Amino acid sequence: MLYIIFYFQVHQPFRVARYSFFDIGSTRSYFDEELNRFIFNKVSEKCYLPTNNLFRELILFSEGRFKISYSITGTFLEQAKMYRPEVYESFQELLKTGGVELIAETYYHSLASIFDLDEFIEQVAAHLEIIEEEFGYVPRVFRNTELIYFDKLSDVLLNFPQIKTILIEGADRILMGDSPLYPRFSYNHAHLLLLKHYKLSDDIAFRFSDRGWAEYPLTAERYVQWIKALTLGETEGRNLYLGLFMDYETFGEHQWKETGIFEFIKRVIELLLQEVDIRFIFPSEAYQTLNYTPKGLSVPTPTSWADTERDLSAWLSNPLQWNAMKTVFEFLRKAKERNLTWLIPILKKLTTSDHFYYMCIKYFQDGDVHKYFSPYDLPENAYRYFINILTDIEAKTEA
Amino acid sequence: MRVLMLTWEYPPFIVGGLGMACYGLFKALAELGVTIKMILPTKDEVFFEISKPEEADYPVAKKDDNNRYQEEPLKFFPYLYVAPEETTYASIGKILSTGPNEEAVKSKVSSEVPHEVVQRLTFILSQGNHLLHKVSLYSNNVLKLAEKINFDLIHAHDWLTYPAGLFLKKKFKKPMVAHLHATEFDRALGYGHPVIHEIEYIGLNYADRAIAVSHYTKSIAIEHYKVSEDRIRVVHNAFTAKTAQPRKIKKFKEPVVLFLGRLTPQKGPKIFLEIAKKVLEQGVRVRFVIAGAGEMERELMLEASSLGIGTYIMFTGFLTREEVEEALSMSDILVMPSVSEPFGIVALEAMHFGCAIIISKQSGASEVIENAYKVDFWDVDKMVASIIELATNQDRLRELQGKVREEVKNFTWRKPAEEIIKIYREILA
Repeated sequence: MLYIIFYFQVHQPFRVARYSFFDIGSTRSYFDEELNRFIFNKVSEKCYLPTNNLFRELILFSEGRFKISYSITGTFLEQAKMYRPEVYESFQELLKTGGVELIAETYYHSLASIFDLDEFIEQVAAHLEIIEEEFGYVPRVFRNTELIYFDKLSDVLLNFPQIKTILIEGADRILMGDSPLYPRFSYNHAHLLLLKHYKLSDDIAFRFSDRGWAEYPLTAERYVQWIKALTLGETEGRNLYLGLFMDYETFGEHQWKETGIFEFIKRVIELLLQEVDIRFIFPSEAYQTLNYTPKGLSVPTPTSWADTERDLSAWLSNPLQWNAMKTVFEFLRKAKERNLTWLIPILKKLTTSDHFYYMCIKYFQDGDVHKYFSPYDLPENAYRYFINILTDIEAKTEA
Repeated sequence: MRVLMLTWEYPPFIVGGLGMACYGLFKALAELGVTIKMILPTKDEVFFEISKPEEADYPVAKKDDNNRYQEEPLKFFPYLYVAPEETTYASIGKILSTGPNEEAVKSKVSSEVPHEVVQRLTFILSQGNHLLHKVSLYSNNVLKLAEKINFDLIHAHDWLTYPAGLFLKKKFKKPMVAHLHATEFDRALGYGHPVIHEIEYIGLNYADRAIAVSHYTKSIAIEHYKVSEDRIRVVHNAFTAKTAQPRKIKKFKEPVVLFLGRLTPQKGPKIFLEIAKKVLEQGVRVRFVIAGAGEMERELMLEASSLGIGTYIMFTGFLTREEVEEALSMSDILVMPSVSEPFGIVALEAMHFGCAIIISKQSGASEVIENAYKVDFWDVDKMVASIIELATNQDRLRELQGKVREEVKNFTWRKPAEEIIKIYREILA
């Protein structure tokens, strides 16, 4: 049997204002309320509302055979309730179909797992709490920000006994030629690791509308053929698990409606539903369906799904990013020590990984992707605004 | 006295200190009765008249001596701006070949511009380089406009306008002053663009007088451009305050040390960074602010952040005029670690805003300012020691800040303007 695990990341950051050196000491807001509202509404119309609608129909039409999973960040939920309650409600509706699993992550979509494990545990706990509060749901699967994973993370997650499964990137570096279709155990055998099939995932997420791609234009029929071909290599009857993990904004936002992405995904799902040997499952169901004991997998240094390097370089490859991130976690630790309750939520919002992504200055293809997502014209400016804000915080807390 | 001023910068179109110097000087000249007709690199064929001091703040755009120009706003093409449309301009050779204006009064020029020099300049300007192309278009524009303007002499500021100045001198047989605010040796920190060197050489040597903004710059002109001693004069820059004693703003708990200028090797921002690093390493709480934009910005930011100093070295990015003043108001110490600085008006401005100053000896300003720490640009340790002394000794800092506020009052533009009028008289006599 080939099991398909669809997983989508749903996230919006609180982008910071173009906070100049001369704003320090003023009462100007740190976050660009107008921009965040604008982007949220834009993406809601292009992606969240139509895609939720499409998936809801497909779940109902398939009588629950089509299944998907989401991780929805705390910052997204805050924005949805503030800027577009109908998006929030639409996720509630979607959940009621029973065809949706919710996945745990850090509330602020941060790199706390790299910088401050206490803060990491706090942010995961806060996310579990909001998911239970808003959806009455207790996640049993975890995915770290941008699929960042390393051995130690599995140890740390033992703090949350309900978590049994972790989603990770099927990076070549850790698989060393093995197939990403077979789940693995974490190095301590505490968690089941489900791997992203990056080729088939990125075919949709990144390459679908790329006119320079040899397979352009990709049809649903051809894509389904590729999926079916995956089973040919398995001769011992072991179940295969195809992890199609991507940003939810792939639908309608990264790939515009005009590219035919909605028709494509609908057709792919319809075709897959017709296959007898292919089934959709929730990530948490992988454990029960395994008909063999998975191998262990050691990941000593962090992997992620970002950029071609699939490591931390999207957020931590230059000193601007290091200094900014180091400083914000430092300030957060101090704020907690001094119990500055007004400041803690602000600093936590500043730990969101997107802020550091905008400061990236890697060139070539990835640079373009970073630029596309950045609300600021230059990485230098992203850094400048961020440091100015931290300086203002520093001045206000010292006063 | 009617002076045709050729300059590439004038407020609000400023790239560096040149625009500020022109503003101060022109206003003071107007106070002394000089009528200024200024040609800027505008797309429109206009010049600007300053006949009263208050007009220096809002020069009047004119098509010719009698007609005001209506259209606003004017389009400029300084350095990186759009290139002007070529079709509106005739070739320089063609304009010059129409021969000298017969009505010109008997020539006052001390030396003719030889035909070969004109040919050479025309050839240089016809090269593909983007900036040279703009210089060529500017020169064209100047030649055409000058037909409609009455003037007694030409005063060209820096190399971008020297070709136009020499062409005018050739055509109208009026004397020319070449003002040297900065040389290519300063900008490039050594040998720079050969063509720019050549234009500077020609401009300074075929002008009737050259004016350097410091002895430091004069010595460069004599040593490298072989300008003869008796034709070059030093007139130091000055600073005329627009406002009365500005108030100090306290924005940070710790003292603020400011770098203010373009982020180019000439201005020594890397030296500033090195100073910051050493001061912070010694545990002295000082906030370093690097104000300005430029080609080295990314490099500097990466280096600064790699020191892991959190928020203690800050970068403001490009500043407007108002922001420059605000930055000065909130700073306690200004460091000008320029590697080669013809003058450095920013030092005077900082004094007006009550900043203690640490300036490199390789600057014209250090020739005239008394109350300053003057340090060789490479002597980082000495600059570090000076900052620590001031940052840890409030009394010493306040005392020095009080002194510079007084001293800067002596540096008005009136004296330089008088010296320049003397030079005008010499060459018109």
